[in-house]
Amino acid sequence: MTTELAADRTLVRRTLAWLAGPVPVSIIVALAIGAVAIAIAGINPFVAYPSMVEGALTGRGPANTLQRATPIIGMAIALAIAFRAGVFNLGAEGQMVLGGLAGTLVALTMPGPGPVVIVVACLAAMAAGALWAMLAAVLQTSMGVPILISSLLLNYPARYFSSYLVRFPLKEKGSSMVATPMIPDDTRIPALIPADSAWGTALRHSLGKENALLLITRNVNYSLLVVLAVVALVIFVNRKTPGGFESGLAGQNLRFAQYGGVHTTALVIRTMIFSGAISGLVGVMLVLGSDFRLIDGALVGTNYAWTGLLVALLAANRPIGVLVSGAFFAALIVGGEAMQRSDGVSSQLSQVIQAAVIILIVVRLTLPRWLNLSRRHGRDLPAITDRVTADDEVGRV
Amino acid sequence: MTVQLELRGITKRFPGVLANDHIDLTVEKGEIHALMGENGAGKSTLMSILFGLYQPDEGEIRLAGVERHFASPRDAIAAGLGMVFQSFKLFPSLTVAENVVFGRETTRRGRFDRKGAEREVAAIAERYGLALDPAARVDDLPVGVLQRVEIIKALYRDASVLILDEPTAVLTPQEAERLFEILRALAADGRTIIFITHKLKEVMALSDRVTVLRDGRVADRMVTAQTDARAITRAMTGRDVVLQATAAAGEPGKTVLALHDVTVHAEDGRTAVGGGGVGGSGSGVSLEVRAGEIVGIAGVAGNGQTELVEAIAGLRPIESGTVRIGGRDVTRASVAERRRAGMAYIPEDRHAVGTAGTADTTDNLSLGHHRQPPLLRRGLLQRSAMTRRARELIERFQIKVPGPATRVGTLSGGNLQKVVVAREMSHDTPLLIAEQPTRGVDIGAIEFLHGEITAFRDWGGAVLLVSAELSEIMSLAGRILVMFEGAVVAEVPAAQANESTLGMLMAGASPDQARAAQPGELV
Repeated sequence: MTTELAADRTLVRRTLAWLAGPVPVSIIVALAIGAVAIAIAGINPFVAYPSMVEGALTGRGPANTLQRATPIIGMAIALAIAFRAGVFNLGAEGQMVLGGLAGTLVALTMPGPGPVVIVVACLAAMAAGALWAMLAAVLQTSMGVPILISSLLLNYPARYFSSYLVRFPLKEKGSSMVATPMIPDDTRIPALIPADSAWGTALRHSLGKENALLLITRNVNYSLLVVLAVVALVIFVNRKTPGGFESGLAGQNLRFAQYGGVHTTALVIRTMIFSGAISGLVGVMLVLGSDFRLIDGALVGTNYAWTGLLVALLAANRPIGVLVSGAFFAALIVGGEAMQRSDGVSSQLSQVIQAAVIILIVVRLTLPRWLNLSRRHGRDLPAITDRVTADDEVGRV
Repeated sequence: MTVQLELRGITKRFPGVLANDHIDLTVEKGEIHALMGENGAGKSTLMSILFGLYQPDEGEIRLAGVERHFASPRDAIAAGLGMVFQSFKLFPSLTVAENVVFGRETTRRGRFDRKGAEREVAAIAERYGLALDPAARVDDLPVGVLQRVEIIKALYRDASVLILDEPTAVLTPQEAERLFEILRALAADGRTIIFITHKLKEVMALSDRVTVLRDGRVADRMVTAQTDARAITRAMTGRDVVLQATAAAGEPGKTVLALHDVTVHAEDGRTAVGGGGVGGSGSGVSLEVRAGEIVGIAGVAGNGQTELVEAIAGLRPIESGTVRIGGRDVTRASVAERRRAGMAYIPEDRHAVGTAGTADTTDNLSLGHHRQPPLLRRGLLQRSAMTRRARELIERFQIKVPGPATRVGTLSGGNLQKVVVAREMSHDTPLLIAEQPTRGVDIGAIEFLHGEITAFRDWGGAVLLVSAELSEIMSLAGRILVMFEGAVVAEVPAAQANESTLGMLMAGASPDQARAAQPGELV
């Protein structure tokens, strides 16, 4: 009993310590900054914030939030695996766009049963994203061009190549929209429980039209499950495979990994391939699951790749953290849109809050002295656990 | 004599640790005061408090009788403190004079006056006999000179108290002797010197008084002339320490590591290793290390040892020549292949190469072992086996760490080195490359590490030992190779080696000159 109590107490202590730590404090301060911005715009933040929470969490809110969270989490996990390995893939956007393009081409041209076409489209999208990412990797490993730069710049050819195809050869004739023709109904990724299925009707009768669960099952499609499976796979690879172990160490100290016998060139290429493949998959799932056609600029305009980058940063590249912070950012976006509808506050405010959270976390805002949970002095000092420590850390200041 | 610096009751707590426990330290004007203690004894914390990097929880600092509070190093420098760190803080692309005056530039009509700076630096250098060229670019200079630049930097800011953190770690014996002369001249000029070191011989040769710290407290204060090395060691460790290693019992066995005519380039394309010397038929370095022997490579830092070892370890390409490990040609092989061929490697820089500071002890002990059973089964990592093995190694190598989940970045130098040594030696390979295995670690850990290396040799292992510490090489190695400017310039059997001859060879003297200066057998 006593040990259980002790365990409880350390859990409470650790929870309190975490709450006083950089993540929660940054979020609160960022919301405060947002409140100031709302007030400057002449709107009462005590009216605006509640409508933001309401918009994200009530009625259609949960369904919308999960719908938005799916690509955000997908992009974030693609980036998290790269960042964890110390590979700075800033080209996820281009990899996503080319994935969406390749998948669209398959969906528009390949005959055969819908589910088969969907699977092939996904594989084609992953291959396209992976190849584009690999190009950046090879530029680094063979010619010394930093991935940070090459992957970022490769976004532009990807974006404008796809834009060209959508504007000219693939454009639907006679349509006012700059987009490809719609993909056939049976190659669309279905909702978890489609409204017109027997299950969907039964659920509607038992739960009622406005039920949140019903709205989720109708409006959120299988992409969510795919993304969750990817996250689970990443957790497994990180923890249980030698390759995942090596990536983690390479990200913390590349020279250490190299010295220990890790083939770092192969590691960089492999990481970019996985990262690009996931990005491509997210791209095709957006086309087959939400837009049902490739619309010029749609994949870029959503900003999912960059929101995903912020989410990966907020989560410190940890998969579970990616789930939580991805859902949080999605809720911010959905809530921000609701706030715009009801109070006229620009929905871009949620982007201000997102950015503020990240900047504040980088500053590592904490409350240790207020709550007296830790006695670190000196901002640069890492956690010190024993005497030995203290001495040596200082030596390296 | 007047008291220049007084620390009273300095106390500093870190979470769960009392790093400094009511430390009193009194240093007189014109005194050379040695501060000694094992890693983790609290020396660096104390000096960081003195230099304004940390704030003490209790206690006061008095400088020339006036109480001071240093919120940052800038305050400490303004009050007349100067610190020479182990790692030099210089801009490589600037000249000596520019580095010295940086932040307090000489100006003429609002513009930087380079000539004036050079004149001032030359004046300071001349006054204390610090030979250097104020107009030389810093990246062209050897470490011994860089250290003089650091000292002049402090003098230019008119430091009355000069703190040096292990200043001789990178110097040849001759360079160290030069440094001591400079320090004596500074002390004679009324400046106060605090000298942090692990080396007893230097303390005995240079200091007026010694303060020994242990476990965050003052263990003893001694007048150097009235004490001896053994008493200081006992104060540091609480016991007697034996650093004299035993010689190899039998004859060396078969060749484990063989280099033939190896040349290696530095980053900038210069030849870092190569250029003749003994034992090679051509232009490269040739050497052999056999089972059951320790071959030492002596040399001043920057004479190609680092590049040579990196090339053997597979971290740097080999331009020409061949490297064989256990008979297998590994000249072009990857690090992993070399390790499979039988190489273990303790690198010079345990922070940048030997460990990942933000990773935990288990992960640091597992890298390189994680693709074989018991850590890998059916293609999957066995986390519990990794933790179990980490616990065993922590126990066996007496690593002072709270547990396997502790991040190694928080460990002291000696304990971090034990993590590296534990991981590498538990490979049970026939070849061990040990590069500066005891740099910056305390005497207790040195004794332990030397014991492990000799035990490995007696078990039949071949060891290539690279060290700037002559006493270490002389006590461990059976044969000593001296490297100078990328070449092996001499090979000396340990039995016939002495410090002054090796020092001359390390400084570039020919074997003949060294022999003439100091009669001794050279091969």
